[in-house]
Amino acid sequence: MAAPYSRLLDLAKVQCRIFSLNFNPERLRLGNKILRQRLRGPALAAWYPRKTVSFRDLQETCSRSGLTTFDEYEDDREEAIQVAKLRGKGRPKKKRTAAESRSAKKKK
Amino acid sequence: MSHFRAKIQDLGGFINPRVVRDHTKRKVFAQFEPDRQALRYVIHNTSLPQRVRAQAQLQLASMHAYTRSTQVKNRCVAGGVPRSVIRAFRLGRFQFRMQALAGELPGVRKASW
Repeated sequence: MAAPYSRLLDLAKVQCRIFSLNFNPERLRLGNKILRQRLRGPALAAWYPRKTVSFRDLQETCSRSGLTTFDEYEDDREEAIQVAKLRGKGRPKKKRTAAESRSAKKKK
Repeated sequence: MSHFRAKIQDLGGFINPRVVRDHTKRKVFAQFEPDRQALRYVIHNTSLPQRVRAQAQLQLASMHAYTRSTQVKNRCVAGGVPRSVIRAFRLGRFQFRMQALAGELPGVRKASW
């Protein structure tokens, strides 16, 4: 024997309340499917690998607490600059005023 | 656009301008996704007045292009290549091949039968 429609409606109502669904027997378009969708933003934003701790960060924390670190690359660079200066191949002196830069151009 | 771009990048892997741009778009999309979904809800809800829905449509259409998910492109994490990127590894086909042959991808081996 088929149950009356009102009973089925009641059942559907209780079902919706228990499972926290939207009770909508007239099947109106209420846009609830948009609310049901999950946000995709966090998954998309996690595509590229993020920056992790670098040697420079370590140096920074060390220098903040008063410790000294040794960076071989930086040391080599400074040494090379010193050698270049001795050979007279260092960087030219910075022109501070407009007149100085103009005179430098004229020499050519 | 440049006003969305972070002054200091938080990217760790391969970086080029196109990767930075795509990363920016992803972050902007994540930031504005709730707004977009709210507007879409208003647009899809037929019980709301037509005027409100039309206004929501206009507002959604006038949002910046970077807040759209269609602007996002999957790029190779190791080389920035936008084509034939294997999603499960986030690598372009050639980077995938090189890393797989070098044994850097666990569980991947060259097929042979």
